[in-house]
Amino acid sequence: MKITLGLDSTSLTRRYPRLAILVTLFMAFGVPLGLYVAALAIFPLNTPERLNAMAQQWFGFDLAGSPYRNLIYIAFLLLVAFIAVNYTAVFGGVSTWVERRVAGRMQSRIGPNRTGAAGFLAWVADAVKMVLKEDTIPATADSLLFRGAPYFSMVGLLLPFVVLPFGESTVVTDMNVGAFYVTAVTAFVVVGILVSGWASNSKWALFGGIRGAAQVLSYEIPAGIALMVPVLMAGTLSMQGIVRAQGGWPWDWFVFQNPAAFVAFFIAVTSSLAEGNRTPFDLPEAESELVAGYHAEYSGFRLAIFLMVEWANMWIMGGLAVTMFLGGWQVPGITDEMYKSALGTGLVPSPIWFVYQALSMLVFAVKTWALVFTFIWLRWTLPRVRVDQMMSLCWKYLVPGAFLCFIVTLLWQILVPPVGVKIMGIVLTLGALALLVKFLVDTRRNIDKVKGDRVDLSNW
Amino acid sequence: MAEGIREYFGHISDVVKTFWEGLSVTLSYMVRRPITVQYPDRTEKRVADTLPSRYRGLLEVDMSVCTGCMACERACPISVIKVSTDKDPTNPKQRVITQFDVDESKCMFCGLCVEPCPTGAIQHTREFESTMKSIDSLVFRWVADPEKPVPFYRPVKGQDAPRAPVGEILRKRMAEASWIAPASILVPDGPKKD
Amino acid sequence: MAIDMQLDRHILRRTDSSDEEIVINFGPQHPSTHGVINFVTQTNGEVIRRSVPDIGYLHRGLEKIGEMVPYPGYMPFTDRIDYLAAMFANEGYALAIERLLGVEAPPRAKYIRAIAGELCRISNHFISVGTMATDIGAATPLTHALRERETVNDLLEELCGARLTFNYHRIGGVAFDLPEGWATKVLRFLDHLDSYIQEWDRLITFNNIFVRRLANVGIITREKAVDYGLAGPNLRGSGVNWDIRRDMPYGAYPDFEFNIPVGTGRFGTLGDCWDRYFVRVQEMVESSKIVRQALAKLPEGEIQAKVARKLKPEAGEAVGRVESARGEMLYYVVSDGSEKAYRLRVRTGSFMAMGIIEELSPGIMVADLIAIIASLDVVAPEVDR
Repeated sequence: MKITLGLDSTSLTRRYPRLAILVTLFMAFGVPLGLYVAALAIFPLNTPERLNAMAQQWFGFDLAGSPYRNLIYIAFLLLVAFIAVNYTAVFGGVSTWVERRVAGRMQSRIGPNRTGAAGFLAWVADAVKMVLKEDTIPATADSLLFRGAPYFSMVGLLLPFVVLPFGESTVVTDMNVGAFYVTAVTAFVVVGILVSGWASNSKWALFGGIRGAAQVLSYEIPAGIALMVPVLMAGTLSMQGIVRAQGGWPWDWFVFQNPAAFVAFFIAVTSSLAEGNRTPFDLPEAESELVAGYHAEYSGFRLAIFLMVEWANMWIMGGLAVTMFLGGWQVPGITDEMYKSALGTGLVPSPIWFVYQALSMLVFAVKTWALVFTFIWLRWTLPRVRVDQMMSLCWKYLVPGAFLCFIVTLLWQILVPPVGVKIMGIVLTLGALALLVKFLVDTRRNIDKVKGDRVDLSNW
Repeated sequence: MAEGIREYFGHISDVVKTFWEGLSVTLSYMVRRPITVQYPDRTEKRVADTLPSRYRGLLEVDMSVCTGCMACERACPISVIKVSTDKDPTNPKQRVITQFDVDESKCMFCGLCVEPCPTGAIQHTREFESTMKSIDSLVFRWVADPEKPVPFYRPVKGQDAPRAPVGEILRKRMAEASWIAPASILVPDGPKKD
Repeated sequence: MAIDMQLDRHILRRTDSSDEEIVINFGPQHPSTHGVINFVTQTNGEVIRRSVPDIGYLHRGLEKIGEMVPYPGYMPFTDRIDYLAAMFANEGYALAIERLLGVEAPPRAKYIRAIAGELCRISNHFISVGTMATDIGAATPLTHALRERETVNDLLEELCGARLTFNYHRIGGVAFDLPEGWATKVLRFLDHLDSYIQEWDRLITFNNIFVRRLANVGIITREKAVDYGLAGPNLRGSGVNWDIRRDMPYGAYPDFEFNIPVGTGRFGTLGDCWDRYFVRVQEMVESSKIVRQALAKLPEGEIQAKVARKLKPEAGEAVGRVESARGEMLYYVVSDGSEKAYRLRVRTGSFMAMGIIEELSPGIMVADLIAIIASLDVVAPEVDR
């Protein structure tokens, strides 16, 4: 039966398919690429020496002696921070799209596929919707704390971006206590969870808040200890230093150089999942028990902040694991000397240098996205642990395991010569490769075992 | 002590094994066809045409073969069907049906009215899309105009009643009607006792 | 707000409770209570002191409707008593009225009833195990289970015209005969099902987290299960080997060979949530066996006994019991000689399961309560009718 509304009810995507594809490509590649290029161009310039030299050569302005130099430095820092925060928000949105599509296919259904080509603009629509929603604050809630709680979580999310190295020189600032700093600031998220759970004045939210606090605080311990293992192997706390101590090829990564580091990698990833409230550790917001737990009473933009924190945290989790264990931005084949020689003298580095930088950023992004995909995959496969099981897992399994890895790494670093490390690297890489192949074969066999199913990539 | 150690490491190996299997199953679904049917605009055929023939969709009455026995009205447990009959003023031997209303908003599509019909006048079609702007529009009046009643059909012994193919009449009517047409406010009087 | 608190405390029948304990309402709007049921819970942090079910939100007066609608017209209402296992609800009612009238369905109808019933059992158990997995936190198994259930729905749609509220049985038999080619489709589905259940087991049944969430949780001993009147997989999960299909046989079940899965305490204690869950998974396999045997041995003949259109049975009473997917479903009909029943009573498995929740609740955690409710396979329409 023809339903006529007076206007054509076919969606915009159907009517202007080319426009939909163009907008999608712009959002999918243009915006992140723009942010990346801006990061590539601006981050390396963000040191006082370079800023001074730039001001001298291009504008004839003596920045070093100027009384306003701190203001200029701060302005540049704010610009850099602006790019990083934008990247967080865009990543948070794009990862929701990836999550919904991947989850859909794992569940034998299609995810969003109508808004924009392949449903890519769904997250933009969701973001706009969130901002336009009514901002409700429960009458009996503690209004100041309620309003302020999401920002604690957001701060806890954004601070680690300061030391996360996106590429060889694309890092906001390379603190020489980078690893320690990251473990310290991720605890801010607890404050947000606890405060929002309490301030909502709702029993359900309180449940979520208390669980969340217990969980995140407990898992700080094994996360911190497991993250000390690469520090031991690199000899420095600085994130860039840890990455430079690794190499581009898999057998130069820390995760394969040392069996204790291999175990520590899994402990670090598990603890990160727990800190980020991802399944199997999503107790604070257990959907089927507490129906959104600590952010149950939130709506509109504040809820959008909580959700963005959860999704963008995946990038932090992934980025941290990649930096510490999986070789960071190291491109196989490009060594430190090549970067230095491409840098050259003069203010602006040679174009080759920018190519190397772009490659390193690409490698980092690919590795981090692979880990993010794994987190999504884990979420949609595994059930949720119970509170006491979560605590016993942390204190009985992960903490002793992390300590053991720490001690074994200590002994390894002292006792084993570099050639032994190289051999272990190659052995473990081959072992990991074999496991990966076996896994893929098992996956393919799953399809054959069920009568009537086959590989079929249609129906997008 | 040994028992505890064995349990500890057994637990870890059990975790690894079961996670491996679960994760490989989920990954394998990434390359299998999702079963989503992208209704209503990306299906190959109209969905109503792919349904089995016994599907109990909206009711359709072919008034040309209705015998006026009112068995369907008696069989319905929730009084969805209202049939009124009267003597034909022009022909004393003939009776006519002046009202045959089926309230689709109340119908629970159970099929109890279809079974006792002697000629198969009332049938379930395969149509299910019947959105109307007003709930009163969901009362389908199969005798459109009470001034033009339909005479009883007299079944011929040994022959099947010439009923139109199921669904034809309903589809035609729904194609002609507009879903935002206002409901008919001329609600006829209730069924007369006869 | 204050009035609600008093009502909740009234339901809990406690006047003394320390300041640290909170009274919380699980429901009636909650994703995991399997319908609109409220559980008034008093907890001390995560540990529950007591949890009392507060039912009645879905009461529709179906038993009263049975007194207002003639016998054949009540069949669609039985669908709504338990819409996930509607074939059994139909069958129980049909059996009760047939006993009242003293007629028996012809053999072909009995076999078709068994086929339809067992397919409906498979469909219901998919929902049960799928929603249980979702309540425990794994979201993927639910959609997979629903996907498999869709095939069963399609088969039953071809058979009787509806996907959920079938209204397929009639007093004296069944409404329609098997369509052309339907048996082949069913056999193809069963081949797929037998291999699919192994994949299901690999995905979720033996998953370490799932097992640890369910093992040793909500242990119902044999004596308690019998005392509280549990039925079906809830009873068999506690080790009691009782099944109406074998112990009080009806219909065509004496002709079939099948096992009755009983809980074994494999991963924990006998009678815990995992046992009840696994009994359901195994029952799906047994149902597929029954359907295969029934299709192979299907006799020819009528599908409905001769029964008057306006039924006026003699005054008296009769009982019809079936082994529904959720336990025993019992229909008790009292007739006073007119065409409508004098009293129609339905006893459902979920209603009996409500009683044991309060017994099990002290000392468990909030997450365990969810697991227990899911493992008892409660549906609100059966509880409230």
